[in-house]
Amino acid sequence: MSFLAPWFLVGGLAVAGPLLFHLIRRSARERVPFSTLLFLRPAPPRETRRLRLEDLLLLILRCAAIVLLAGAFARPFLSGQIPPPPPAASGRQILVLLDTSASMRRPGLWVRATALAQARFALATIADRVALMVFDRQLRSVFTVAEWTAWPPDRREALARERLAQLAPGWAGTQLGPALTGAAEQFSDAVPGGSAPGAVELVLISDLQEGASLEGLQGHEWPKGLRVVLEPVTPTTPGNAAVQILPADPAVASRTNSARLRVVNTSDSKEERFHLGWLAADGGSLPRATNEAYVAPGRSRVFPLPPLPAGVAAGGLRLTGDAADFDNTAWFAAPEAERLTVAYLGSDSLRDPAFMGHYLARAFPATARREVAIVPALTNGAVSTQVLAQAAFAVIPGLLAPDAARVMADWVAGGKAALFVMTNAAAAATLGALLGTPVEAAEDAAAFSLLGEIDFTHPLFAPFAEPKFSDFSRIHFWKHRVLTLPAGLKARVLARFDDRSPALTEFPVGKGRLLCWSAGWHPVDSQLAVASKFVPLLQTMLEWSGAGAPSPTQFQMGDPLPVPGVGAATVAWRRPDGKVVSLAGDAPFLETELPGIYTATVGSVVRRYAVNLPPEESRTPPLSADDLGKLGVPIQAPSPVAVVPVVTGRPSAREEWENTQKLWRWFLAGVIILGLAEIGLAYRRTLRVGAGGAVV
Amino acid sequence: MPAAPSNAPKPARLGAGLVDPRSLMAIRSLEFRARVVVEGFWRGLHRSPYHGFSAEFTEYRQYSAGDDTRYLDWRLYARSDRFYLKRFEDETNLRCHLVVDRSRSMAYASAGVSKWDYARTLAATLAWFLHGQGDAVGLVCFDDQLREYLPPRHRRGQTRQLMLALEAPVEGRATDVGAPLRRLAELARRRGLIIVLSDLLAPLADWERSLARLTVAGHEVIVIQILDPNEVAFRFDRPALFQDLESGRELYVEPGVWRPRYQAGLEAHLREAAAVCQRLGAAFQRVVTDQPLELVLAAFLRDHRRRGRLIRRRETAPPAP
Repeated sequence: MSFLAPWFLVGGLAVAGPLLFHLIRRSARERVPFSTLLFLRPAPPRETRRLRLEDLLLLILRCAAIVLLAGAFARPFLSGQIPPPPPAASGRQILVLLDTSASMRRPGLWVRATALAQARFALATIADRVALMVFDRQLRSVFTVAEWTAWPPDRREALARERLAQLAPGWAGTQLGPALTGAAEQFSDAVPGGSAPGAVELVLISDLQEGASLEGLQGHEWPKGLRVVLEPVTPTTPGNAAVQILPADPAVASRTNSARLRVVNTSDSKEERFHLGWLAADGGSLPRATNEAYVAPGRSRVFPLPPLPAGVAAGGLRLTGDAADFDNTAWFAAPEAERLTVAYLGSDSLRDPAFMGHYLARAFPATARREVAIVPALTNGAVSTQVLAQAAFAVIPGLLAPDAARVMADWVAGGKAALFVMTNAAAAATLGALLGTPVEAAEDAAAFSLLGEIDFTHPLFAPFAEPKFSDFSRIHFWKHRVLTLPAGLKARVLARFDDRSPALTEFPVGKGRLLCWSAGWHPVDSQLAVASKFVPLLQTMLEWSGAGAPSPTQFQMGDPLPVPGVGAATVAWRRPDGKVVSLAGDAPFLETELPGIYTATVGSVVRRYAVNLPPEESRTPPLSADDLGKLGVPIQAPSPVAVVPVVTGRPSAREEWENTQKLWRWFLAGVIILGLAEIGLAYRRTLRVGAGGAVV
Repeated sequence: MPAAPSNAPKPARLGAGLVDPRSLMAIRSLEFRARVVVEGFWRGLHRSPYHGFSAEFTEYRQYSAGDDTRYLDWRLYARSDRFYLKRFEDETNLRCHLVVDRSRSMAYASAGVSKWDYARTLAATLAWFLHGQGDAVGLVCFDDQLREYLPPRHRRGQTRQLMLALEAPVEGRATDVGAPLRRLAELARRRGLIIVLSDLLAPLADWERSLARLTVAGHEVIVIQILDPNEVAFRFDRPALFQDLESGRELYVEPGVWRPRYQAGLEAHLREAAAVCQRLGAAFQRVVTDQPLELVLAAFLRDHRRRGRLIRRRETAPPAP
């Protein structure tokens, strides 16, 4: 047995006290008061040895208690192997969960957070098992319990500090709920048997901002014995203002510039006057006058987005006047108008209202996002391949020459989409040519027909699924063709007339798709062209074909950026930090780790995408522990030792081993037992002596 | 252990109506203690062998020339044709002195009840009892000399004054029973009852003469010796320095060796005290502080009655021819 503080053993010499007292007591006997000495005579004491000890049992008890007390103060421990291998089931398990979200970039937060993490490493005993994980929108492990236990005990803290020094807050949002639940599950999984024995502490070091996502915390079943210790860090100056780009207002989407911005000021802010100005995509300032914005603390205001300087397609809107500048720049990429070509394979004039081309040409008005050109692709019965090469969609209004039909069939089979309108029964031959299968059709003899069945689950009709849009009964079809589909032909009937003949049918053709209307929209066939459903239906067809889908330009951190869709083999992606990454033409860009303007370049085509912080990240007022407690998180108040960020020194292996064994407790228990025995014995003895009498 | 005297009550066997002295001493008010004992005594008396005893009894004496004819019992004369005088016990003229030892040796207590507590409670009880019968009760406290004297009176407030006098703590550094009794003999001119309450643990050489002066003066004397159980049994087993409570003198004593001699000495002393009392016609009663006070009171009354008859017989006996 060894002692951590052996000089306390000198206190054991105090046993001389009881020894002396037990020797002295012989000469100083107890006095017994008695009423009279009339019948007593003095008797000389019997001869006894001078050094005779009396009440030997009492003496032994007292001496043993003193020796044990001195031993307890000397902090004994069994020094078999120092340091011993940490027992698996002893010590605490500490998982330090460090917030690296963008809000931790506020002044002073990261320094405090790392100091707290270092304090946890320093306070870990030799038997403790520590792991470090960081989280923002994802949970990542920095070092595991297995790594910690594999490190030499005297190097653990230094190695953990090294790993910690490599970390820095990122730009992502705070997914606190998934991080907490994920960490708890991973930690319990890391322990053999699935349940963590002993004390399990999940130390959460975070700014605990209000905008953190708490999804998944409600009703989560926490591992048994897990306690979440909150170590909140607060910035030197509270308050935060942020600028955010809002999506374009759908009501004014046709205008040239409909984007808006929102300035948010948190309730604990002390500033209310801010300035807004544009930055270039590479971060440089642009020569543009700044705008002033007044936003009171706790309020937010929406402004029209100031126009970008001429010739600038993307930039950052910079807000100044706020100390926490991590969210003071909102990046904006102006949506570029798409130019689409729709090939019209009719021989009629686009100006003659008696024919379908007239209505088709007016169904696609130009918007800020898209310009659609209806281009006739049939010249003297032959299909213009040049037009077809640029076309994203084709409309075939009736019968085609067999050669032209064959060209179109190949074009559609190559992955395109086309709409075939059966203006008469003879056009069934062209349909058969397009499909590669003979199809029969007959003229309908009824006075008029209405649409009887519509498949609203199909993307074409899905926008009309709501009851207030789903009424197609006012559209009269004066004439239509009764299409008879051969058995075995792959087709999906999207709408039927009231005689149950197909009105709109979708056919897969090779890699492409073909739609077939069994009636035209020109006035001879139907009222479709003048119905309110006509233009939305054609727009939907264009988007269904894949050519007219809107291409977003505003994204948040972590969102994948879409493929530019120009059919190139490779795309050169340029990140905001200037790094260029080449990816396959059909692979989305996933590494959106920085806010800013991402540029995708394919030949001469340049697409710009703006990536911003999630708006919730700007809600920086702190959450309270009660908010988490109400969600069932097993919160434990931090111990006074734990909140001290600076640790003076790490205990030695001997101290840790002594602290693990805690033999002094047994020594103290022995002292107490011996003390009680001594009290009982002395009391009995006093009773025996006191039976002689007392003076009242 | 000395044998108990024949007239001493049997050891306390607590039953209905008897109060344990320890419990009794827990009552702080001396007056209330006395009331508890006396009222308990009266309640238990209905079932006691002394039922029917009363101080208010009458007796008859043959008429002789010169007697007051107002007290002739004419009814008895009609039945027996003899003259008898109806004689009343003159209770209001009974004057009782309670002589209580207040020396420090009375402070000794081995069973929780000191002799002083016991003595003053017994004195208070007797005072309450006698006062209730219309007797005049006085108090004398002494150690080596007479310390406090309260003349016997029967008036309101007498018992209260008596109780207050008994509330004083023990203080005497020595015990001398002789000198106080001599002084009392000078103070108590009229005949009466004198009850001495003391442990009598003092030399008795001078005591007999003083006691004789009282008995000769016509006083009826009752000596109640109060002892602690440990004084009788001497239950010590370890050598110790025994300290005299009065003088402070210390003696190293080995109880194992000295117990027989102590008990023999005490027995001789008690015997001598009893013998003195018997010679002088005084009643002697020894009580130990673990005896219930009701038994002591009953023994006192029984003895008082017996002695009263003896005295009366002596007074009324025809002169020898």
